[in-house]
Amino acid sequence: MQNTLRTSHIIADRTSTVSRLEEVVSTSDEFDQVVAQALPLLLDRAAGYTKRFLRETGQWNDDIEHEKFALRWGAEYLERFLVCGRTEVPCRPLFLFDSLVAKQHSKPEPFCYHPDLLKPLGRFLDGLVARAVVSRDALIALYHHSYGWGAGDVIAVTGLNGLESQRIYKNFRRWRESGWQRTIDEMGLTKTELAELENQRQRHRQRFNTEAERLIRVAQGHYRKSEPDHYPCLSRSQWGEMFSQGYGCDYRIWHLALCLDCMQAAWGLGSSESSVEKPRLELQVRP
Amino acid sequence: MVQEEDLELYRSQLLDSMSERPSRSVRGPSDPIQVYVNERRVGELKGAEIEATLHVHGVDHVETVQLRTEDGQLLGGLVAPESGFRTTRVQLSADTVELCVQNTVQGGSLSAVFIPAPSFWNRAWTILANVADRWMVRRPESTMAYGVRAVVFTQALLAVAVVGLAADRVMIWIAPEHTVTSTVRTEALRTASVAEIGQLSKQLGELRAMQTKVGEALQSQEKGMTLLHQTMARLSSTQESVASSVVMVKEEMEKRQEGSESEIDRSVQIPVGRGGVDQEQFETAIHGLAADNDRLSKQIAGLEEHNRTVTAKLQMAIAHVAKAVEQSPERVVAREIDMARKHQRSPVADNRQGTQAQPFLFWVTFSEGTTQESIDQWVNEMKGHKGAINEGWQEVQILPPPVPPDLFLEQIKGEKIIKEARLNH
Ligand SMILES: [Zn+2]
Ligand SMILES: [Zn+2]
Repeated sequence: MQNTLRTSHIIADRTSTVSRLEEVVSTSDEFDQVVAQALPLLLDRAAGYTKRFLRETGQWNDDIEHEKFALRWGAEYLERFLVCGRTEVPCRPLFLFDSLVAKQHSKPEPFCYHPDLLKPLGRFLDGLVARAVVSRDALIALYHHSYGWGAGDVIAVTGLNGLESQRIYKNFRRWRESGWQRTIDEMGLTKTELAELENQRQRHRQRFNTEAERLIRVAQGHYRKSEPDHYPCLSRSQWGEMFSQGYGCDYRIWHLALCLDCMQAAWGLGSSESSVEKPRLELQVRP
Repeated sequence: MVQEEDLELYRSQLLDSMSERPSRSVRGPSDPIQVYVNERRVGELKGAEIEATLHVHGVDHVETVQLRTEDGQLLGGLVAPESGFRTTRVQLSADTVELCVQNTVQGGSLSAVFIPAPSFWNRAWTILANVADRWMVRRPESTMAYGVRAVVFTQALLAVAVVGLAADRVMIWIAPEHTVTSTVRTEALRTASVAEIGQLSKQLGELRAMQTKVGEALQSQEKGMTLLHQTMARLSSTQESVASSVVMVKEEMEKRQEGSESEIDRSVQIPVGRGGVDQEQFETAIHGLAADNDRLSKQIAGLEEHNRTVTAKLQMAIAHVAKAVEQSPERVVAREIDMARKHQRSPVADNRQGTQAQPFLFWVTFSEGTTQESIDQWVNEMKGHKGAINEGWQEVQILPPPVPPDLFLEQIKGEKIIKEARLNH
């Protein structure tokens, strides 16, 4: 009884929120205000669309992993809507939101879907690489999580100059302070799952890293598409030229973080590490 | 059930992070801003104290533009129109980023301009630009669109220098037209004649054209600045000094900017740093500046003189760089070898002149009845010496004549005293 009442109350609430979102808002401030009150509704709506998309493309399964996946992307769309939508005024927020999500889903590969990427290890890797696309801190942190390197190693391996080096230290610091935790939250990894990952890493190191390498290749392949399109894979001699001439700083940083093969191809071209063995994936869970 | 709770926890976590979003800005004052077009990273804006621009061309169709911090936070952005252009301003505390996207049948383009919290020179420049705008349609995209399918990052050193040059130019242009030269006075601008402003706008137009040229020079490089860096690196020490002179010019500009800023801060209280100073405020500030004219004019006169040198240096540097860009390093080397050869050749040329400096010999016969005296006089007039006599022919030695031998002999033959003349006996 109580429950039914509460449910009907929620439904009534939702209906009024929806009708507000259907009305025209004319200023950015009004947009912010209306949308801020409707975040739960919009999140569920975006997650619902994503769920439907997955179902229709044969990528759905009724389990918590898929639910989380749909929620994660719903949140992603909602964030973009919050920022970009306010420049679209006057508009009807709900219709704008729907069209924005529809646009995302009409892209060739709207997200990196692979059943194995829904399990904790896959979710961790997918979340990490996805974050690296939008956050330079995460991108730099990818060197640490993939190979266990510190800022100094990253600078040496990518052959950076003094000015760029300062930035790398900053990237590392911010990642440790807040970036990593936020990314973990965004992935929806629980403390238990994290502990289990850490456990596997210590106890079955080789198996863990082999599996991680397989999965990170899937994720890297997908997210590398977000690099500037003039950053393709290069041969060792091409990398060599870039390193010795000292150009393409950005190219090196971005591509090598997102490409295991090129990392191995370009190994030893930076400074001083030539004697050491080629880098192998040594996945780190903690920042 | 644990799973359901887990899911609900995840959902509320996502919602929490969404609603606290605006307060989570982690951008430090000088952190760069990452720019994304259609969720693909296209470059970054150096978010320091200077204005920076990022132009992106050759995108098939711009759908979205996003600005992000280094830690990935979405700062702002826009959804591009199907066709036509749209502009928006993204406010980042005191700084601003102006976004302008355009979609045409040829493709899409974006121009993102980082405008730091206004400093004096920025404000002065804004006023000048506004005045100029009344007289010319200002549409950055139409003047800056090169229509080539390439991504160009004009944020590079050169572009920064050119923007600096723009400010310099305006200062210099105004100066000759007013007797109280050396001040940026809005009143003067307001009351300036149509012709004067027309001229100013024309000059601004020229400047834009120049900027476009520089942009094109960069663009002609396959990898834009990348290749320029590469070329620079390969060039000899002469070219290195060019690079350093660009840096030097830039440094000087910054120094000058700082100098003038601190000076003005002392004399006029300009409200800075309170999230965007509006037009009215800094117009007031400039009025105050005009009142303090005498003291400032002296300083600005000095600055202007400095501007001129800096501008000249910069133009030279740009010219050098443009040349350096045009030339492949091999050609530069070839040119140096050429130069070396020239140096070697000049002594050779001297030698040849030396041989020519040896006496010129020819033979003559004299007209009948010519006295020995007049013959000697003739030889003396030529500053020559008599040589051997053979079968009536007299050998004469003179300094090499200024005309070719044949012509010289013809001239000789024309003289009354000479009967015949030839080179060999
Ligand atoms: Zn690669
Ligand atoms: Zn442009």
